[in-house]
Amino acid sequence: MHNLAIQHLVGVAVFAPLATALFLALAVPLRRHGWAAAYVSVASVLVVLAASVTALIQGWGAPPVEFGVTWLKLSGVPVASLGLRVDGLALTMLGVVGLVATCVQVFSLGYMSGEPRPALGRYFTYHSLFVFSMNLLVVAPNLLQFFMGWELVGLTSYLLIGFYYQKPSAAYAAVKAFWMTKLADMGFLVGLLGLYLSTGSFAFNAQQTGLVATATTLALFVAVMGKSAQFPLHVWLPNAMEGPTPVSALLHAATMVAAGVYLLVRAAPLFVNAPTTLHIMLWVGVVTALFASFVALVQTDLKRVLAYSTCAQLGYMVAAAGAGASSAAYFHLVTHAFFKALLFLAAGSVIHAVHSNDMRKMGGLVRVMPLTTAAFGVGTLALMGFPGTAGFFSKDQVLEVILEHAGWAPAGLLLVGVGLTSLYMTRAFLLTFFGAQRCGAHAHPHESPTSMLAPLVLLMGGALATGWFGSSLAAATGHHYHFHFSVVGGAATLVSFAGLGLGLLFYGKAGLAGDERVVLRSLATFVNRALVDRAYAWTFSVVALGIARSCAWFDRYIIDGAMNYTGYVSLLAGRRLQRFQTGNVIDYVAAVVVGTLMLLTWGLFQ
Amino acid sequence: MNLPQILYLACGLFCIGLYGALTRRNVIGLLLGVEIMSNAVNVLLLGFSRFTGQVAAQAFAVFVMALTVAEVVVGLALVILLYRTLRHTDVDEANHLRS
Repeated sequence: MHNLAIQHLVGVAVFAPLATALFLALAVPLRRHGWAAAYVSVASVLVVLAASVTALIQGWGAPPVEFGVTWLKLSGVPVASLGLRVDGLALTMLGVVGLVATCVQVFSLGYMSGEPRPALGRYFTYHSLFVFSMNLLVVAPNLLQFFMGWELVGLTSYLLIGFYYQKPSAAYAAVKAFWMTKLADMGFLVGLLGLYLSTGSFAFNAQQTGLVATATTLALFVAVMGKSAQFPLHVWLPNAMEGPTPVSALLHAATMVAAGVYLLVRAAPLFVNAPTTLHIMLWVGVVTALFASFVALVQTDLKRVLAYSTCAQLGYMVAAAGAGASSAAYFHLVTHAFFKALLFLAAGSVIHAVHSNDMRKMGGLVRVMPLTTAAFGVGTLALMGFPGTAGFFSKDQVLEVILEHAGWAPAGLLLVGVGLTSLYMTRAFLLTFFGAQRCGAHAHPHESPTSMLAPLVLLMGGALATGWFGSSLAAATGHHYHFHFSVVGGAATLVSFAGLGLGLLFYGKAGLAGDERVVLRSLATFVNRALVDRAYAWTFSVVALGIARSCAWFDRYIIDGAMNYTGYVSLLAGRRLQRFQTGNVIDYVAAVVVGTLMLLTWGLFQ
Repeated sequence: MNLPQILYLACGLFCIGLYGALTRRNVIGLLLGVEIMSNAVNVLLLGFSRFTGQVAAQAFAVFVMALTVAEVVVGLALVILLYRTLRHTDVDEANHLRS
C-alpha cells in the first residue's frame, strides 16, 4: 500500500506534465487563447509540486524502490526497463525541479504578459514538456531512459532558447546550443554502447574496470561537459540567454544544465572505477570555474554575468564530483538551483522594468524596486557564500572535499574563483541597483506585479534555508555530512569578503567608471577578443569545413558517381536491348526458334 | 516405310514450314508455314503410333488437327483485320507492336 502510493505520486509528477503538454499541443484553440494554456500549465505544475513534495515526505528514509516495465529484451534477457526509480536522490531532485518550475511558471505569468497570446500558449506548452522531460530523467532507473530524458530536455532547451524565433540572434543561439549539446551527446551514445558492450546492461552501477571504464566514463563525461557547459563546450550557454529570462532561470541555471552534474551523481558508481576520468573531471571543473569567473567580471549584460556565473558554479560541482565527492556536488547543485533561479528571476524582474539587459542602462533601481533589490541581494549573498546562506554551506563542503581528495592546487584555484565570484556579483549588484539611474528619461521603471514577486520571496526562503538541510540531503543520497568549521571554509569566507570589499572599493563610489580600471580594461579587451569563440571559429573553418568538404566530395563523386554510373549503364543496356524489340513478328519467331535450338543443344550436351 | 524415313520426312516438313514462316513476308504465307510445321508434328505422331502400336498417338493427331483449325480461324480473322487496317498483309511493315 505504501509503495503503491509513492509509485502513484511519482508517476503523477512525471506524467502529469506530459499529459498537459500533449493536451495543449492538441487543443489548438486553448493554446491560441494563451492565458487558458498558461493557467492549465501552472495548475499542472502545482500538481507536480504537490505530488513531489508529498512523495518526498512519504518516501523520506525509505529504502530505494524501482517500478517499471521491461522495455527491451534481447534473446529473452531483459536489457533495459522503463520506469521510476524512487530513492532519496530522485525524490529530492523532483522536489527541486517541482519547486523551481512552479516559481518560474508563476513568474512567467507576469513576465510574459505582454506577449501575443498564441506565443504565450506555445511558451507554456514547451514549459510543460520540459517538466516532463526533466522528471523523466530524474527518475530514470537506467542510463537508457536517462538518455531519453536528456535528449528531450535538450529539445525543449532548443525550443525555448529560440522562443523569439523572429529574432535572428535568438534563432542562431538556439541552433548553436542545439548543435553544441548534440555534438557532446554523441559522447553519451558512445558511452552507452561501450557500457552495454562491456557489461551487457545500462545500469548506473555496472561494474567495469581498467581502460574500458575510463573510455566509457570519458565518453559520458563529454556529454556532461556539453550539457553542463564545461570549458571548452560552454560557449552555447551565454548565447542561450537570448531566451526569455524565466527560461534562463529554469533551464539554463537551475535544472537542465544541472542534469549533467546529476548524471555524475547518479552514475557515481561507474565513475569511481575510472580514476583517470575523475582526474580529468576535477581539472575541467577547476578550469571552467576560474575561466568563467574571469569572463563574468567584464560582462555588461546582466544575464551574461549570471550565465558565466552558472558555468563557474557548475565547474565547482564537476570538480567536486571529480574529487569523488558526488554528495558535495549534489548539495551544491540543490543550493545553486535555488539561489541562481532567484538571481535570474530577480534579473528578469529588472529586465521587465527597464526593457534592457544592459547594466549600463540600469542603476539606481533600489529606489523603485526594493523587493527585487532584496531578492537579488539575497541571491548575491548566497552565491558569494555569505555565512548562513545556502551557498556558504555547499561551497564550503565542495572546497573541503576537494582539498581532502585532491590537495591544495585545485582547492587554491577554486578559492581564487570564490573571490572573483564575490567581486563580479558585487559589481553586478551595485551597477544594477545603486548609483545614478541610467535607464533614460522616457523609461519609468516600476516594481513588478505580485505574480512575479511571490516566486522571488519563495526562492529567497530557499536560498537562505537550503544550506541548513545539508545533512538531511546527504542522508537522502546515502552519504554522511555535518557542517563543521574548516580551514578552507574559513579561507573561502575570508576570500569572499575580500572580493566583496574589492567590489565595493571599485564600484561603490565610481559606479560604472569602476570598469575603467586598467586591470579590468585589459581583461575586457582580452575577453572581448573572444579567444574561445575565435578558436572555435578557426577550428570549425579548418577542421569541420575540411571534413564537410571531403564528405561532400565523397558524396558527389563516389556515392553519387556510383549511382549515376549505375543509371548510365542501365540506360545503355536498355538501348542495346531495345534493338531486339523490332516489332517484326518474324524476328520474334526466329528468336523463339533460336532459343529452342539453344535449349535443345544444352539439353543434348548435358 | 520404316521409322527413320518417317522421321526424315517429318524433319523435312518441319524445316520447310519453318523456312516458310521465317522468310514469307505475306501473313498468309507465314500462316501456311505454321500449318506445315504442325503437320510435321502430325506425321511424327502417326509414324510413332504405327511403330509402337499405341492408338493414343492417333487420338493426339486428331486433337492437333482440331487445334490447328481453331488456330487458323483466329489467324485468318487477324489477317482480315490487318488487311482492313493497313490495306496490305506485309508483316515486315506491320511492326506496330514496337511502339
